[in-house]
Amino acid sequence: MTEPPVAIESPLVTVIAVGNPYRRDDAVGAAVLAAVSESLGPDPRVRLVELDGEPVRVVQAWEGSALVWLVDATASDRPPGSLQEVDARQLGEGDSSWSGIGGGHALGLREAIEFAAALDRFPAELRVLGIEGETFDHGEGLSSAVSSAVPAAAARLLASIRPSLESTA
Amino acid sequence: MSHEYRARRFEVEALTRVEGEGGLIVEVRDGELADVRLRIFEPPRFFEGFLAGRHFTEPPDITARICGICPVAYQMSACQALEAACGVEVDDDIRTLRHLLYCGEWIESHVLHVHLLHAPDFLGYPSGLAMAVDHRAEVERGLRLKKIGNRIVEVVGGRAVHPVNVKVGGFYSTPSLATMRDLAMELRQALTDAIDVARWVATFDIPDHELPDGTALVALRHPTEYPMLGERLVSSTGLDIGVDEYPDHFAEVQVEHSTALHGSMLAGGDYLVGPLARFALNADHLAPTAAALAAELGLDPGERNPFRSIVVRAIETVHACEVAVAIAEAYAPPARASVPVEPRAAAGCGWSEAPRGLLWHRYEIDDGGRIATARIVPPTSQNQPAIEHDLAHLIGHSMHLDDDELEAVCEQAVRNYDPCISCATHFLDMRIHRS
Repeated sequence: MTEPPVAIESPLVTVIAVGNPYRRDDAVGAAVLAAVSESLGPDPRVRLVELDGEPVRVVQAWEGSALVWLVDATASDRPPGSLQEVDARQLGEGDSSWSGIGGGHALGLREAIEFAAALDRFPAELRVLGIEGETFDHGEGLSSAVSSAVPAAAARLLASIRPSLESTA
Repeated sequence: MSHEYRARRFEVEALTRVEGEGGLIVEVRDGELADVRLRIFEPPRFFEGFLAGRHFTEPPDITARICGICPVAYQMSACQALEAACGVEVDDDIRTLRHLLYCGEWIESHVLHVHLLHAPDFLGYPSGLAMAVDHRAEVERGLRLKKIGNRIVEVVGGRAVHPVNVKVGGFYSTPSLATMRDLAMELRQALTDAIDVARWVATFDIPDHELPDGTALVALRHPTEYPMLGERLVSSTGLDIGVDEYPDHFAEVQVEHSTALHGSMLAGGDYLVGPLARFALNADHLAPTAAALAAELGLDPGERNPFRSIVVRAIETVHACEVAVAIAEAYAPPARASVPVEPRAAAGCGWSEAPRGLLWHRYEIDDGGRIATARIVPPTSQNQPAIEHDLAHLIGHSMHLDDDELEAVCEQAVRNYDPCISCATHFLDMRIHRS
């Protein structure tokens, strides 16, 4: 019998996907995470985490990391599949130009970011990548527009992560 | 002042600090309370339909997604129901690991509710974030405790959220002795923190209030344990039944103003599940430190003040830490991680005590292991009528308050029940409107 896998302590980079796989496009974060995992392969310097968005878990999941990415579906009036990226501090300061984050989560990423700000839990760099969803109905499977956006979203994350890894190689 | 508000109608648009979203409507006519309705909007019961046709091994993973706060509860009730259908009983050491996993979930859920959702009401803050600025040490202590809850779920369940190591029949793998010894050391500190949290919340200024006389208290009961995994269902009205008898005594009914079904007792009357009911019916089975602390803080099994549920949750957190320490310190890796389970055409029921109360599952499967029907009764849908009646009772005694004060009291009272509306309807919003 093997022991259940337990998370690595204090990796350099943490990528947190937030969403629910049974709410259609809300699962896009996990799909992006899977694509990143496939490209990077096993690397103890990178922690990839799938969460439901509960803010304390989100903040505790990035402990010890210098670079943190939060990936989530957004629900605004942008075209489905469009990507939006922001420095999380802007969200914490109430930047209203970045709308729709958090989808249907009761306590969401915005609360996590505000919570981190209140308790001085920000990593050196905390960025958010949003992928605009088309449908958040009950059920499995991404809409085609959102599915098509997954490679570009993964590429954006990899372009950010790889230089950090190379600098510590 | 009530005569100044002869006609009042509250609609609180966005009831904050509950798990999910919903609404509460309060109507007052001619100075008398006319109506209280807890409104729930989202499509209900998706998961029950979604499970039909799935393989019997899938519900532990699928139902864990119903709620990010209490996935273990869904997994435990699902596993027990499917094992009952297949005529299987797990080994004692597998059950003990399940008990430990459940301790982790209780710690996580209760600590989140106490610190970020409910304590701000008692300390006069609009949110947990605002409270964290002035009460940083207490919030940091809460974060430490919540982290140990996560850690238990991670060690036993394979990851901290939506555990992947649980299966029908047991676990895919079991923790090593070394990992469990490390966990036991962390849990010792957690127990100290949990005791401090209980003493802290016991200092809060807690309103005087009691549940209406007609509200029954309902919880699982185990011969020796404070119930997470119970054997019988008991009530303050003398009910004592087995898991298959649940539908003979309880029903769910549709109401116009909510997309969540409302629980009711077939014998009549509403009932309450959750910490207050568990404590009332099982205080004699608390672990020794938790029991002594409950006595020190003046809690007794006759407690019917929902505002004191925050103290009960803190006591249950102490209990969960204490049980977890005992299990981790006595741990020896099980001889096998799971028992074999072969499907057969049958139905089975399972239940457990989610942090918010009783969670009952029933599955009917065919001899190929395909699920024909699934039924899930979550705690919040059972509690909805009791919450409405308690609010009516509370408002009836609070007509002297002005609108803002009354609205604040109502919101705090709803949070007494830590309603997980995501569980009740599988994603929703909670609101109170006012005009």
